[in-house]
Amino acid sequence: MGECADFMEQGFQASEQKSSSREAIENAQAGNQPVIEVENVTKAFHTPDQGMMVALEDITLSIPYGEFVTVVGPSGCGKSTLLKLIAGLTPISGGRILYQGSEVQGLNTKVGYVPQESKLFPWLTLEENVAFGLDPKRYSRQERERQVRYFINLAGLSGFEKYYPAQLSGGMGKRASIIRALAYEPPVILMDEPFGPLDAQTRMILQDELLKIWEQKRQTIIFVTHDLVEAVALADRVVVITHRPGRVKDFIQVPMRRPRNIFEIHRQEGFDEAYGRLWNIFRNELNIGAA
Amino acid sequence: MAKETSPGQVRVEASSGGAAVSAASGFFWKRSLWVTLLRTVVIGGFLLSWEIASGRWIEPFLISSPSRILSSLISSFQSGDLLQHTWVTFQEIAIGFPLGAISGIALGYCFGRSQVLAEIFEPIIIALNGIPRTALAPLFIVWLGIGIWSKVGVVFLLTFFLNFFNTYAGMRQMDEEYIDLARLMGANRWKLTFKVILPAISPYVFIGIRTSIPFSVIGAIVGEFIAATEGIGFFIRLSAGVFRTADVFVGIIVLMLLVIVMDKIADLIERRVLAWQTQTEHVRIQG
Repeated sequence: MGECADFMEQGFQASEQKSSSREAIENAQAGNQPVIEVENVTKAFHTPDQGMMVALEDITLSIPYGEFVTVVGPSGCGKSTLLKLIAGLTPISGGRILYQGSEVQGLNTKVGYVPQESKLFPWLTLEENVAFGLDPKRYSRQERERQVRYFINLAGLSGFEKYYPAQLSGGMGKRASIIRALAYEPPVILMDEPFGPLDAQTRMILQDELLKIWEQKRQTIIFVTHDLVEAVALADRVVVITHRPGRVKDFIQVPMRRPRNIFEIHRQEGFDEAYGRLWNIFRNELNIGAA
Repeated sequence: MAKETSPGQVRVEASSGGAAVSAASGFFWKRSLWVTLLRTVVIGGFLLSWEIASGRWIEPFLISSPSRILSSLISSFQSGDLLQHTWVTFQEIAIGFPLGAISGIALGYCFGRSQVLAEIFEPIIIALNGIPRTALAPLFIVWLGIGIWSKVGVVFLLTFFLNFFNTYAGMRQMDEEYIDLARLMGANRWKLTFKVILPAISPYVFIGIRTSIPFSVIGAIVGEFIAATEGIGFFIRLSAGVFRTADVFVGIIVLMLLVIVMDKIADLIERRVLAWQTQTEHVRIQG
């Protein structure tokens, strides 16, 4: 309950500053109902040599509206698989996943997905890519144009509307990939190590931009990463997953205030505490004794 | 101070960059001029030695000569005969080629989308592909008569398989994550097909179309060789039968032109449809 109150307080602060996040906050107020519930989910794969390989075991997670959750774990622990399960891209082996209280069957089109590589459609221009998810039944022509322009501006990509993805730099492609998922306003956005292959500077700039965008919209974000600093810097709550089979090891509440300054995140109150707890877990995992 | 120097620096960079670009383009221009010149010399030399050899060292009825071929080309067109033959062959290709290409692409797409369909029919298709398809041409004559429809059939057959295999290869190479993403973004079946899958496989589709163009012409000519009363293939066979070698070459030239024109049209369409690819290359060249 404490978590929830915390979150709502943050939500109200945001709504005083910007009114665009009204919907998400109203939803959160209405029922206190989590938007995504993962209940005892297990995922096993067939492998050619070892028979069955359990990637995720007994994962239980409850994510309220508007929360920014990061999922950390060593590579190969099934973090990405978890996102694929929530999106309904791969079938679950056991347990269930609820979206707004009802079980997800097949593809969940209520979630946006930002893959590891940008995966912009190379045959569409930047603006066509961003407009891809804008259903003509939900958005009028003008609304679509406005939405596309708004997000392209927000990501600092104006002037590049007619460019094809191959003509954009890696960082620009990432921004485009993220706003493509944001533009049609899915209530939940799943991000699979979106900043993984970028250099440290571009990474920080994009993290900063992501937080700024998120603070205006306050969509629910589930963000997978293997970078502990990134996990703490962005999140309201960090979910720690262990190595194979992946289980939820712990949750860490990040007590830092928002808006946060990504560039001096180490100096912010609460960072050390959260990072220290996270690192302790990993130190035990890696069997590194305290110095 | 810093503010004063920075525009100057920018200007220097810009002008030196401009000079580099113009020097590079000058180099390319000179180079392409040389290439064209040498190519002309090679072709001219070949035609000239052909003209000289003919009648001196080799019998003209065996190899004819460029001048005889040219005059034969002009007179055959003037009489209207050649035009009629060309028209017939063109019709056979104009019907058979699009039919073969479209059904090949459609089937390749279906196989790519349906695992079951692919599993059932793949060995059958591969076995059928093992048949030398021109060997089936006589059968088409039996089934469809000696008019244009038997040739349309052969053209269809040759075009179909090439387009099918290339499209199917494209479907198997395609990155499934594009489909997942599009479906998550709420794309319906129509949007998925025309906005995602077809563009994704279009480079492969165009390889199929481009490679099948000369084969469609082969199909028409083989059909006409076997049994016909009209068409360029018929014209070539007739001329060879009476040792009018110049006319044989005339027929060959017409076929060559037909392939070149079709290829050029396909190239223009490809450039437009695959603009997103050529744009990429363009930028890469600029560095």
